[in-house]
Amino acid sequence: MEKLEKSAPVPLKKKESHNPDTPLPRSAAGGASRTSALARFREGALAAAFIAPALLLFGLFLFYPLIQSVYLSLHSTNPRGQVANFVGLANFRNLFNSPGFPNSLIVTLKFILFTVPASLAFALVFAAVCRAKIRGMKIFRFVFALPIAVSVGTGSIMWMVLFHPTLGTLNYFLGKIGLTPVQWLTDPNMALLSISLMTVWMNVGFLFILLLGGMQGVPEEIYESAKIDGSGPVRTFWRLTLPLVSPTLFFASVTSVIGAFQAFGQINILTKGGPVNSTNVLVFKLYEDAFVNFRFGVGSAQALVLFAIVLLITVLQFVFAERKVHYQ
Amino acid sequence: MQSSRKWMFACLCMLMVVLTACGGGGQTAAGNGAAEAAAPTESAAKPAESAGPVKVVWWHAMSGELGGVVDELVKQFNDSQDEVEVEAVFQGTYDESLNKLKTAMGSGTGPTMIQTYEIGSRFMIDSGAITPMQQFIDGESYDVSHLEENILGYYTFDDRLYSMPFNTSNPILYYNKDAFKKAGLDPENPPTTYEEVEKAAKTLTEGSMTGGSFAIYGWFMEQLLANQGAELLNNSNGRAGMADQAQLGAPAAVSTLEWWKKMVDEGTMLNLGRKTDDTKKAFAAGQVAMTLDSTASLRGIVQAAEGKFEVGTAPLPKPTAADADKGGVVVGGASLWILNDRPEEEQQAAWKFIKFLAEPKTQAYWHVNTGYFPITKEAYNEDLVKENLKKYPQFQTAIDQLHGTELTPATQGAVMGVFPEARQLTETAIEEALTGAAKPQDALDRASAEITQKIQEYNSTVAQ
Repeated sequence: MEKLEKSAPVPLKKKESHNPDTPLPRSAAGGASRTSALARFREGALAAAFIAPALLLFGLFLFYPLIQSVYLSLHSTNPRGQVANFVGLANFRNLFNSPGFPNSLIVTLKFILFTVPASLAFALVFAAVCRAKIRGMKIFRFVFALPIAVSVGTGSIMWMVLFHPTLGTLNYFLGKIGLTPVQWLTDPNMALLSISLMTVWMNVGFLFILLLGGMQGVPEEIYESAKIDGSGPVRTFWRLTLPLVSPTLFFASVTSVIGAFQAFGQINILTKGGPVNSTNVLVFKLYEDAFVNFRFGVGSAQALVLFAIVLLITVLQFVFAERKVHYQ
Repeated sequence: MQSSRKWMFACLCMLMVVLTACGGGGQTAAGNGAAEAAAPTESAAKPAESAGPVKVVWWHAMSGELGGVVDELVKQFNDSQDEVEVEAVFQGTYDESLNKLKTAMGSGTGPTMIQTYEIGSRFMIDSGAITPMQQFIDGESYDVSHLEENILGYYTFDDRLYSMPFNTSNPILYYNKDAFKKAGLDPENPPTTYEEVEKAAKTLTEGSMTGGSFAIYGWFMEQLLANQGAELLNNSNGRAGMADQAQLGAPAAVSTLEWWKKMVDEGTMLNLGRKTDDTKKAFAAGQVAMTLDSTASLRGIVQAAEGKFEVGTAPLPKPTAADADKGGVVVGGASLWILNDRPEEEQQAAWKFIKFLAEPKTQAYWHVNTGYFPITKEAYNEDLVKENLKKYPQFQTAIDQLHGTELTPATQGAVMGVFPEARQLTETAIEEALTGAAKPQDALDRASAEITQKIQEYNSTVAQ
């Protein structure tokens, strides 16, 4: 999942730069009319041939499972995970009637709230600072980008050591400065914050690279003229850098929200949804229902609800947030 | 600009389909994984029919050091004869290997035998995919009288042995003898009742030392209940017929949780979460003076404490002295199941291997190297075991506890198809109570109702 998300910026950018060219042949062909109809068909066929392999793979590994999960969501399964009988929408109804699912929704939303703005803010600040061409800046860029090289599994294990209730590094330092130890992962009020802390750390690396790339795409002349006009660093950041990286920031926010919806690895390793379901985010609950308790029907129903929610939120982001985005 | 936006939108929509489909689509992925893992099995099984040794594939869940011991046992067996060749395949945790088995069932790609945790027994029977062990036992009048009754008890349903126990353990109370001395308690006289544990914890808590810590592990709750003779499910713990009602809200469970919570509230007992590994580490580091853990952890704990303090072991505490001769512990661990979709010849070969594993000599080796109980009483006569007991006298507590247990439905252990889930729910209830999110009675009532619902759902899908 992680990989897919990260490779996304490339096709997006491509599509963007592609676009200005596409209308050109079309308008040219419109003038020549009949003779070009065949040429257009040929071009279309060629395009289809090129798209076919990708479409086939998509169909096999994405659309087919999607259809399958719709099918499963309407059935109950026996303990072996086989379809037992058709239950209609009962799986969905049960979801909203049981306390577990609404709780998971709330936990997921809280998790997004804790992680997305913080990750973006840290990445933005780090990127803004690292944009400066100063000797040794490369070292800082390297350090800030480092978490991207750490997999969720490795990262979680590292933080597990830091979070250990009695022998953990964090509590050791808290003890040194005379504070009472914090029950990072065992206190229901604290666990989600702890997981978020770790997730922000993990996200910052990728977002930092993304935003730094966006900032470096801004021509230096603009900054120079701003400087000549007497704009200080803070003003330059708010009035210049921020609007100019807004397309990147927008993209980063959309993928971050989707990424937060998908958070699983760290929760599986650090808390398993506990204590008292305080970190039981949707994807973890879904996983537990489908693959631990072998109820594929309920699991699929949750996957579809999750899909609908992510779709809705992304549409909303496009409708409302994109207005503020400044495309060059 | 406008069309660029549309493109971007379309792309993101695609992206979302991709990402969310992963959730639902995972099933196919898991299926593929299992098929892949099992693929060598099939190809390996075929030549066996023609000539040479019969190949038996054994899926197990013993990782790390335990896995090494498993491989050694398999090697010993393969070297000892040339009719059967066993291939041990590690399939991840108990949950993982069971899930892989579920996807492989009926596809002919599964193993010949599998090690499944004790709480998966009901499912294994209901799956209809296994050959009961009793069939092999009756087939050649194999003498089971040398095996431990208290261990067989767990895996016996309707007077038939369905699987062969392999690795078994109990929980015991570990305590720090040096801390006991320091606090003025008698290190040779550990607490045995709830009240004594509470008092000892209070005395022991001083400075950086806390009285104790129990991991929030459903298994401990089950054991503390069985230890006072209380049943977890109706229908005699699901042994007189399918259970359809959980009894977690009963007074025995509530008073146990209240006792636990009281100590946590008073600060004489730490709540270190669900991971037994975390409490184990805190105990080994001398930060808590008492803890509950499996007998299988004994060697590790004693070795970790070496040079720091002396480890003492005591039987699992009971509510009051009056409960002393009530109940006992339930065996935990796992057993071996033979699957019925493999050829008869292969099943017989697996049975041969299982008999080898039950031999006193094999069990002695297994016990000494892992800390699990030997399943045969004769293993205690082996020199290897005797020497080991000299080295780790603490293990005697575990053996006495096992032998002192009277076999009743309560100590045979509960059986239900949704046991793993019931544990999750129990653990949530314990967390709610310990952290003050709910009263013990309310938390347990809620968990009980949810477990009941899951059991009934399970029963209804199995009945079809």
